[in-house]
Amino acid sequence: MTANADLLKALRDVVGREHVLHKPEDLLVYELDGTFDRALPEAVVFPGDTEEVRGVVRACNARDVPVTPRGAGTGLSGGAVPARQGVVLATARMRRILDVDPVERTAMVEPGVPNIRLSEVAAEHGLFYAPDPSSQKACTIGGNVAENAGGPHCLALGVTTNHVIGMEIVTASGEVEWLGSRGPDPTGYDLRGLFIGSEGTLGIATKVVVRLLPVPETVVTLLAIFDDVESASETVSAVIGAGLVPAALEMMDRVTLQAAEAGLRCGYPPDAGAVLLVELDGIEEVVLGQVTQARAACNEHGATEIRTATEPAERELLWKGRKGAIGALGRIAPNYYLLDGVVPRSKLVETMGDVSRISEGYGFPVANVFHAGDGNLHPCLLFDEREEGATARVLEAGGEIMRVCVDAGGALTGEHGVGFEKNRFMPWLYSETDLENMRRVRGVFGNEGAFNPCKVLPEGAGCGEMAHQKGALAAAGPDAYV
Amino acid sequence: MTGWPLAEDAPDTADLAKCVHCGLCVNACPTYAITGLEVESPRGRIHLARAVAEERIPITEAVQGHWELCLQCRACEAVCPSGVPYGHIMERARAQLDAAPPSKGWERRLRRFALRNVIARPRVLAAMLTPVRWFARSPLRGLVRASGLLRFTGPLGRLEAQLGRPGRPFRPRDGAGEGEVALFTGCVMGELFGDVHRASVRVLERSGAKVFAPRGQGCCGALSAHDGDLEQARRLARANIAALEESGAETIVVNSAGCGAAMKEYGELLAEDGEFAERAEVMATRVVDFSEYLAGRDLPAGRLRGRVAYQDACHLAHAQGISSEPRALLGAVEGCELVETEGADMCCGAAGIYSLVQPGMSGELRARKAAQFREHRPDVIVTANPGCQMQYEAAVREAGIEARVLHVAEALDEAQDGG
Repeated sequence: MTANADLLKALRDVVGREHVLHKPEDLLVYELDGTFDRALPEAVVFPGDTEEVRGVVRACNARDVPVTPRGAGTGLSGGAVPARQGVVLATARMRRILDVDPVERTAMVEPGVPNIRLSEVAAEHGLFYAPDPSSQKACTIGGNVAENAGGPHCLALGVTTNHVIGMEIVTASGEVEWLGSRGPDPTGYDLRGLFIGSEGTLGIATKVVVRLLPVPETVVTLLAIFDDVESASETVSAVIGAGLVPAALEMMDRVTLQAAEAGLRCGYPPDAGAVLLVELDGIEEVVLGQVTQARAACNEHGATEIRTATEPAERELLWKGRKGAIGALGRIAPNYYLLDGVVPRSKLVETMGDVSRISEGYGFPVANVFHAGDGNLHPCLLFDEREEGATARVLEAGGEIMRVCVDAGGALTGEHGVGFEKNRFMPWLYSETDLENMRRVRGVFGNEGAFNPCKVLPEGAGCGEMAHQKGALAAAGPDAYV
Repeated sequence: MTGWPLAEDAPDTADLAKCVHCGLCVNACPTYAITGLEVESPRGRIHLARAVAEERIPITEAVQGHWELCLQCRACEAVCPSGVPYGHIMERARAQLDAAPPSKGWERRLRRFALRNVIARPRVLAAMLTPVRWFARSPLRGLVRASGLLRFTGPLGRLEAQLGRPGRPFRPRDGAGEGEVALFTGCVMGELFGDVHRASVRVLERSGAKVFAPRGQGCCGALSAHDGDLEQARRLARANIAALEESGAETIVVNSAGCGAAMKEYGELLAEDGEFAERAEVMATRVVDFSEYLAGRDLPAGRLRGRVAYQDACHLAHAQGISSEPRALLGAVEGCELVETEGADMCCGAAGIYSLVQPGMSGELRARKAAQFREHRPDVIVTANPGCQMQYEAAVREAGIEARVLHVAEALDEAQDGG
């Protein structure tokens, strides 16, 4: 029996024949996620429960086969790409909502449940799940846990780690454990916090307990229109400076507005230099007071127009544009490189200047859409991967932009994760001792380097084969398809 | 460089490049919802098409299978921020299957034959469907059902389950005359849903329109286009354009969502046609859906008691962007309690001839609808496409509830007639 046949047999024994993909054409679809790093797995396996997840991990460990977990494949740092091939462990079959407790305001779900589904189900009890990544219609809770996902509404409410209170996991070594709990914060080391944001390198969450929040009584969304990004940025500082903590505070520049309006017809002003979306929620009297304050701040810093949306349908339309804005860039360029960096709010304007200087230098147009309230930038460099060398140059430009963020006292990622994309930049932020400590944490969970390899930490050999494998399948010859 | 066997009618490289594989489409896709497999998702199918275009893979049996499981409901297109014209890509990908090693070659050939020689020929279609209509209304049907024989007849049994009680046919000559508003009569629609056409005419007339059915019109070509037979689709489109131009009508009202979507895209279908390109563009702008036409007009309010569950027809909601209009028309009817069921905008699995060629997936999707009907117990299920109506007839039986299945036109007509 060949190594591959032995692996397939072992996987089929665990999950059943119909839940293992192995044909080259089928594997092809799992070679990428939301970004452009690519690598082909040898098999994709769909376990149905915790036991099967454990079985798959153990079968792979026993054969020294790398395992890469995958949710919906919407990630933006290559986290679900099987960098050293091996097995992709997909959670698509594990999408049950196990319980919703309206009294404790918690829910327990399987990792493959789409983020939005949680809020839909919670809505029956007047509750919602706060983190709302732009991909929330597709992305899964398991993936959110791995990446410590954020979203526009994380400014006031915090990111995934503030809303996931406990998890059942299968560790990289194939043990089933519980981290955190359903009750009050447990004492001792916060292993739950350690696991959230570990980008699928410590293990895989098989059950996730989330906190649900009551739907706010009143929600008002303002769309403030500005002539340029600088005025909008100054407004952001003024709003926060006034002591307001909006539920969301988002900025989009002209390029983004034009793409979003063309693609989603959400009523954005395509000729504006920038817009701010400011959302305020809570008790009616308080919200109305905050709306007055926020409007004043916008007017003071040169807003040319402020639109107010109070009806759910109006607000939904404004958010539809924001959440689809990145994808809409596909209308104006064949490819984009979406970056994710964080800088102190006070450095926003300066950093944006650096970003446009760098992208201009490389000849790539840039679109900016970001969570202005927490200094989380998302510059998008527009390019065409079919142009010779374009991908390499865009990656280089991205590296320079990340360097600018770090030099400004910021971080490599606000919410997309380090993944494969930025692991080589980690030494900018961390000493060799820090990195070594992180490697040892992996070891605690039994990851000897084969569980979601090449992610987060810089690694040398064996991780260089990613990127484009064009022609690799065709080279295998027609027999590969029988 | 291209790996497409038929260069003409191959998916456009620029269309494929529009997909940025963000994945926002996957949960809108019915086949992904059922299988959880990305190979059965829009992003997956596009990625396979790109791989074929880039000569990474040939069109294998597995690739064909993934493309053929697609319902072409275009729910993905409606949620795609990047504007990927998925429907066009899939029609062109399917066109390539003719030149690929035939996995189910005989099945495809039979399908092509039926689409070209039965559906597209009004007289042959009439001759075929007259006995069907007769059977559907005869006492014999009850006996056949009771005998359980249908379980062994495959597609015939499935068709029987979908048949309502079709009234008299409505063919162009039944609505001959003159007017500003032309009613598009279609193929199966005119033969098995004559009642819907008659109701449409009455409702349109009550709104002040002068309605007629131009001669010479026939099948819109949607079924052929979805099957990848673009040549046949173009032939039918040209015939309809000529007939509708001849009629002098300024507005073409279409009450079948699938036909309306196809006709609004005649311009793209015939873009390369020297003689017809421009005429097709013009004709496309004249096409309006039944609900779309009525949305801006004065109607008698009418009265219809009961719980009404409107189910979006995919090619109305996703391809034409019309979902609030029919709900508003129904909501304005006195006594009509609109019930929103979960997944009302998800494909029912009818999808043209899909329910016949992919009975497994079609059945799964129908079962989802049946479960919702069981939970919400509507008195009336309303939709806007003949295939969906047939599928809901079967879903209602599956749910074991007493509910009538009506087209929007029938529901409005009944309400205006006094309920």
